[in-house]
Amino acid sequence: MEAIFEVTQRPNFPELLQTHIVLSVVSLLIAIAIAIPVSLAVRNTPLGSAIAINIGNVGRAVPSIAILALALPVLGFGFAPSLLALTLLAIPPILINAATGLKEVSREVVDAARGMGLSEAQILSRIQLPIAMPVIFAGIRTSAVQVVAAATLATFIGGGGLGELIVEGLQRSDTPVLLAGSFTIALLAIATELIFGGLERAFTPKGLRLARKKK
Amino acid sequence: MSRINLLQTYGPLIEWDWISENFVEDILPALQGHIFLSAVSVAIALAISLPLGILAARYRTAYAPVTFVTGLLYTIPSLAMFGILITVPGIGIGPRAVIVALVAYSLLVLIRNVVAGLDAVPPETIDAAKGMGLTPAQILFGVELPLALPVIVAGIRIATVTIIGIATIGAYISGGGLGKMIFDGINRGFPTMIITGAVLATALAIVADVSLLAVERRLRPWARTRRA
Amino acid sequence: MIEFRGVSKTYPGTERPVVNDLSFEVPEGEVCVLVGPSGCGKTTSMRMVNRLIEPSQGEVLIDGEPNTAMSGTQLRRKIGYAIQQIGLFPHRTIADNVAIVPSLLEWDRDRIKERVDGLLDLVGLSPDDYRDRYPAELSGGQQQRVGVARAMAADPPIMLMDEPFGAVDPITRERLQDEFVKIQDDIKKTIVFVTHDIDEAIKMGDKIAILRQGGFLEQYDSPENILANPASEFVESFVGADRVLKRLSLMRVGDMNLEPVNGEGSGLPAISGDLTVRDALSEMMGSGTERAVVERDGERRLITMSAIEELSQDRERPRE
Ligand SMILES: Nc1ncnc2c1ncn2[C@@H]1O[C@H](COP(=O)(O)OP(=O)(O)OP(=O)(O)O)[C@@H](O)[C@H]1O
Ligand SMILES: [Mg+2]
Repeated sequence: MEAIFEVTQRPNFPELLQTHIVLSVVSLLIAIAIAIPVSLAVRNTPLGSAIAINIGNVGRAVPSIAILALALPVLGFGFAPSLLALTLLAIPPILINAATGLKEVSREVVDAARGMGLSEAQILSRIQLPIAMPVIFAGIRTSAVQVVAAATLATFIGGGGLGELIVEGLQRSDTPVLLAGSFTIALLAIATELIFGGLERAFTPKGLRLARKKK
Repeated sequence: MSRINLLQTYGPLIEWDWISENFVEDILPALQGHIFLSAVSVAIALAISLPLGILAARYRTAYAPVTFVTGLLYTIPSLAMFGILITVPGIGIGPRAVIVALVAYSLLVLIRNVVAGLDAVPPETIDAAKGMGLTPAQILFGVELPLALPVIVAGIRIATVTIIGIATIGAYISGGGLGKMIFDGINRGFPTMIITGAVLATALAIVADVSLLAVERRLRPWARTRRA
Repeated sequence: MIEFRGVSKTYPGTERPVVNDLSFEVPEGEVCVLVGPSGCGKTTSMRMVNRLIEPSQGEVLIDGEPNTAMSGTQLRRKIGYAIQQIGLFPHRTIADNVAIVPSLLEWDRDRIKERVDGLLDLVGLSPDDYRDRYPAELSGGQQQRVGVARAMAADPPIMLMDEPFGAVDPITRERLQDEFVKIQDDIKKTIVFVTHDIDEAIKMGDKIAILRQGGFLEQYDSPENILANPASEFVESFVGADRVLKRLSLMRVGDMNLEPVNGEGSGLPAISGDLTVRDALSEMMGSGTERAVVERDGERRLITMSAIEELSQDRERPRE
């Protein structure tokens, strides 16, 4: 136990942790910046939503290690290819949920809003987005947890991060290093899940919670 | 680094010759291994989740702790899970650790769906069965589980797709399967192997998804009438 | 004033129009009820007024101007609209739902609050109990009443109401109808009201437009004239075999042209002048009398069965 703790005191530990977090946060932000506008653009066209959702579904079926590994022959080793691969991984859950959430704001509600003279922009900002928000946040949460996990694999294509400890631990049969890496990564993922779960609840309007309970 | 350089380092993205030469000896066994790993894991997970789910549906107080623990397991990144498991005595490096991890990942989804499926059985139906003098065991196996089956299959479907993806990473701790081609490809700088492994793993996930969806639809009478 | 001028609508991908060459006028301050069987194009016709649907042919004029003169959003803020499926915003409280248009129009806070409370009272939901609830905490009928209040919120001169009382029980419905008629007497809005219930149409409408499958206008007239002279067999069967009685329920005995009683009234049962002729008829039949005395404003007049019979026939002409 003590040996494990000692690993976290090594001088390169903060750097690995930092790389891991930077990789995860930046790729998540880029993915949000891509997936949300696309979902908004297709929100009123059933065909567009269906295409976006299906692309997302196929994207989810590609194993994360495959996406990282494929970045290698195309972009090479290092931080930037890892970032790109992680971004590609982070997009599908957000895309699926945002497109589904916006599509499923009931038609009557949007119709009533339009009938009262709300402009398309007002319908989006006051009706569609708030109602879809919990579903969108659930997608971001899934994506965030997945990216923290996949960032562990970045080490295989030279992207750094806490995965390096696991690789080192395995190669040198150094159990404390292996476990220090594993536990830190596990805690990071659980913390991400809890933080984003909290955000999801905070962004669920009370009226929607009541409506869901009723169902 | 320029693209030209990279292509020189790695060669063309796909060498079809390699694929045809190694199809029977390397590729097919890797695919079979992958299917084996995934199928065994889902089967074990189901054997654990069914009784646990049935218990959690009967004794509601058990539901929250069960989903909390399996939820934690589900959140742990796979490489970290493997790293922890191989240090456990009796598991060690190899397919066994991979299967344990894959089972752990399936529990949350499966248990949740078993409970949801049982919840959705109309109470009147159970009352009617009781009224006809069926024993509790007969009601469970003859009425409740068959009615809950579509929802349970939906859970199996999600778990299977997840597992096929994670199993690729298991190759790093000598679990075998399609992941081995991907890791070998990385180590040798040979894109053909990476792409073959990646494409097959993706295709396997999609095929499993679509076939289980077909099973699920068959089990839902309302879906059948809609198709007609 | 709303005017339909040769309006037709064919939905893309279908062959036949669902609204067919519709022309009629709703004068300022009147209630026009669109009535007809399900799918006959009532909702479609109504939604062409506020341009949620654009006509394929013809135009809709509002106060003499084509409704395309301003943008759809501007137009809709001046026209209250209670949609058939209610469509309350699930993430907003009841008060916020009602306040949507006033806040778009940037009314000040106090004025909005006063208006919201007043409207909730009006539709029979006590503001203190319901203001801060969410739609999920209301029954279907209560939600529908909030939908009506929401449509009235900014006091628009024109209102479109699509089966606004469809989801409430018969007793509440009747109360809301009475309330509606009373309020409309004061506020005199120009209203298009959709229903498939002919009794509701007769009660609420200054004018009734009867539509038939395919969006054909069968008859456009006052309730009395429709009951007295149905323009077609379709209208006759749609208004029902009891149309004579329905007509009698539109009139009050106090308004009948009756002779004063000349001493002979003693011993006859008395009837209040506020009763409808139909109710008076029912009372007279119930007490087995041919004649009764109507009392109104201190005057006593004689009502007879034959006077009622005459009334129910005077405008019946055989159709050619
Ligand atoms: N968006 C649409 N596309 C194609 N057809 C439509 C569309 N909306 C309505 N219709 C058709 O147009 C006809 C008239 O519909 P409308 O909603 O106006 O009927 P309605 O009189 O309001 O009926 P109800 O009393 O059932 O509400 C129906 O046959 C309906 O199927
Ligand atoms: Mg309608």
